Amino acid sequence: MVIVLPVLAADRSPCLRLTACAGALLLVLATPASAEEAADLTQLSIEELLSVEVYSASRFAQKTTEAPAAVSIVTAADIRNYGYRTLADILGSLRGLFVTSDRNYRYVGVRGFNRPGDYNSRILLLVDGIRVNDANYDTASIGNELFLDVDLIDRVEVVRGPGSSIYGSNAFFGVVNVISKRGRDYNGWEAAGSAASYGTGKGRLTYGRQLDNGAEILLSTSYSDSRGQNLYFPEFDSPDTNNGIARKRDHGSYQNFYGKLSYAGFTLTSAYSESTQGVPTASFGSVFNDPRTQTVDSQAVLDLAYAGKLGERLDLSGRVFYGGYFYDSVFPYDAPPVTLNKDQAWAEWWGAEARLVGQFDRHKLVFGAEYQDNFRQDMKNYDQAPYEVYLDEQHSSQRQAVYIQDDLPLGERLRLNAGLRYDHFSTVGGTWNPRLALIYTPQPETAVKLLYGTAFRAPNAYEMYYSSASLGSKPSVGLEPEEVTSYEIVVEHQFQANFRVSASVYQNEISNLISQITDTDGYNVFRNIGQFKANGAEFEVERAWADDTRLRASYAWQITRSQDTGTTLENSPRHLAKLNYSMPLFGEAWRAGMELQYTSARKTLAGARAGSYAIANLTLLNRKLAEGLEVSASVYNLFDRHYADPGRPEHVEDLIGQDGRSFRLKAVYRF
Amino acid sequence: MKTSLNRPLAILWAALLALYCAGVPAAPLAEYEVKAAFVHNFAKYVEWPAAIKARSSLRLCILGQGQFAEAAEGLRGKRVGGAAWEVVPVGSRSDLGECQVLFIEASEADKLPRLLDGLKGSPVLTVADSEGYAAQGVAINFYLEQNKVRFEINPAAAGRAGLKISSQLLKVARIVAEPGGRQ
Repeated sequence: MVIVLPVLAADRSPCLRLTACAGALLLVLATPASAEEAADLTQLSIEELLSVEVYSASRFAQKTTEAPAAVSIVTAADIRNYGYRTLADILGSLRGLFVTSDRNYRYVGVRGFNRPGDYNSRILLLVDGIRVNDANYDTASIGNELFLDVDLIDRVEVVRGPGSSIYGSNAFFGVVNVISKRGRDYNGWEAAGSAASYGTGKGRLTYGRQLDNGAEILLSTSYSDSRGQNLYFPEFDSPDTNNGIARKRDHGSYQNFYGKLSYAGFTLTSAYSESTQGVPTASFGSVFNDPRTQTVDSQAVLDLAYAGKLGERLDLSGRVFYGGYFYDSVFPYDAPPVTLNKDQAWAEWWGAEARLVGQFDRHKLVFGAEYQDNFRQDMKNYDQAPYEVYLDEQHSSQRQAVYIQDDLPLGERLRLNAGLRYDHFSTVGGTWNPRLALIYTPQPETAVKLLYGTAFRAPNAYEMYYSSASLGSKPSVGLEPEEVTSYEIVVEHQFQANFRVSASVYQNEISNLISQITDTDGYNVFRNIGQFKANGAEFEVERAWADDTRLRASYAWQITRSQDTGTTLENSPRHLAKLNYSMPLFGEAWRAGMELQYTSARKTLAGARAGSYAIANLTLLNRKLAEGLEVSASVYNLFDRHYADPGRPEHVEDLIGQDGRSFRLKAVYRF
Repeated sequence: MKTSLNRPLAILWAALLALYCAGVPAAPLAEYEVKAAFVHNFAKYVEWPAAIKARSSLRLCILGQGQFAEAAEGLRGKRVGGAAWEVVPVGSRSDLGECQVLFIEASEADKLPRLLDGLKGSPVLTVADSEGYAAQGVAINFYLEQNKVRFEINPAAAGRAGLKISSQLLKVARIVAEPGGRQ
């Protein structure tokens, strides 16, 4: 049964909405409150009400005002509406974040920090609480390497600022929390297929169900293959190196399997992924345009988690886990003759965590303890034929931690959230990290948060042990954790249920940053040498209308300077602006999702500039063509803007050109 | 750089305008308005004790911070049989036994067990919209399924309040048993 209800006058006036989407924030502020004069729904019967479609307020109104940090949330609906292909796409749409690519991996910048050479080690990536950052490189995989298909994401919560007081190492600039969908979100089969530019195809098959006894199961597998494109690199423009053209050398393929079973508070998760990526940039001095150059990244997950109640006001959660990360690569070098060099890594770890959350009088207390044994942290580098080993390191290490957090009301309008964590590493010893948040809510719609905290990242196995005289590096002895001290003020205000603004100002003081330098003897070595200061301000507005039109716009300003030289950091844009706008079309059958992302100019490693750019992405989505069918068409970089990201130390290229306009067609079918 | 940036943006906004004009306003409704209308209906499907039936008003209390309160304002004065709705925001220390319907916001999760304990024996219909609340002892709990509002009922919880929920309502609800219960 379809019920036709009178349409609101005020909220759907085209000109009001247009000015709003034109980004004139003041005019947005002036639009009248929504939904007051809706039809009298109380006239409807239960059966009629059951068939009314609503737009969900809850996904928008997550109580981010209560979180002791500046939080962004991206939902499964956003992923559909904006045609996101990877976690990198999701993160790139958020306030103050930016993603760069070297056509091998993708790297996320947070609060002005995305140094060429780093491997996403300063954000912590959790999938349902499972730590993704591996035990060798600390990498938070945000590209195709991630074991969870982006379609299986229910929501992503990005918590900015230091998170070490709860999460320990890597929660340096922020924590990315990915929450997966549940079996009951499917209750049956789902198949998805897509075709995209550069000869890219992808398929996914998912089964999910909730059984009568409450048990839930979710199984999914994906496969993708991309033939790649021809890319021109001016640095190699000579007849010996194919006139600078790398022919389909950025090909790639990946596959993953994900399974989740939950019953009576227990959740068993297992996953495996393998991603092969061709490298067109001739990185690490390898031979240009060689079809054999590639990297292969694999992840393995086995995790048993429990969440339950010990008493009326005491919750217990915990997990035991196994994780594996395996890296294999081929880089041909012209010795001469051309020799294949293999760089490999095996990281395996297991561990256990427990957390108690209890309400004691007015205190909401959290106690936690963690243990992780990195029982394999191996790396090897060798030539295949003639066989010659340059590096063969085998290591293991342990870490353990305890933490406590208290959330205490200091009266009607003021709350204190205080946390402290102690981490101990078998490699570098102990570190304490506190966090204090004072949250003032003068009225329910408004929150002012004063935040102070420190965070750290322990040196990883790669930084400590990847050295070999024949590779031009020497052992990095005496490395200590790098640290950040952060001060932030966040103001959030919710004008109505579906309209909120937030702003924050912060300062990060980074010390003992682990950086690779070339020592006086000519060898590369990692040292705790970087001291940086970052200042920034962010502003964001989010609004949803009664017909489920949605707008999110943000602007971030940041400046990051080295305290030693006074110069600004490489690959650190001063300005970032984002706009996401999605709306229903032709009734409710279609939706359009439009994204704009602006990144200002950045300094490159050679001291040149990667020019500013703005790109637009557009996705059209239809969920009503047939029962259970969802189709979408996306155009990425709609205006075919040419732009480049700064190269990394392993590149001859100072600038690496990015994709022009590209397309994707996708269909999802439930049965 | 600047000028080349502006032109695509202008085209983009033009495209947005065109898209907008193509768009016919759709009619999904605010989630909480629909929930409020459901609450209005629930009152008709509950067998209230005679003392309450005789009253000229029905008190809808809202506990905690959330979006239900604003939507519930729309019920004020509307009639269920002979009784008109009174809509009252309350705190956890208020005398909740005076309410006929108590809507518990998600913000009250910590206090829920204590709250429900305190209500034992009072003829109060508890309603919420947070996952797992029905299993914890709230009588009617909303959830969303494919953008439609659905609800689950915990008949044992209603029974403890001395309220009988009509079979017509039970028929369209998902029935929730309490852990360890015999439902």
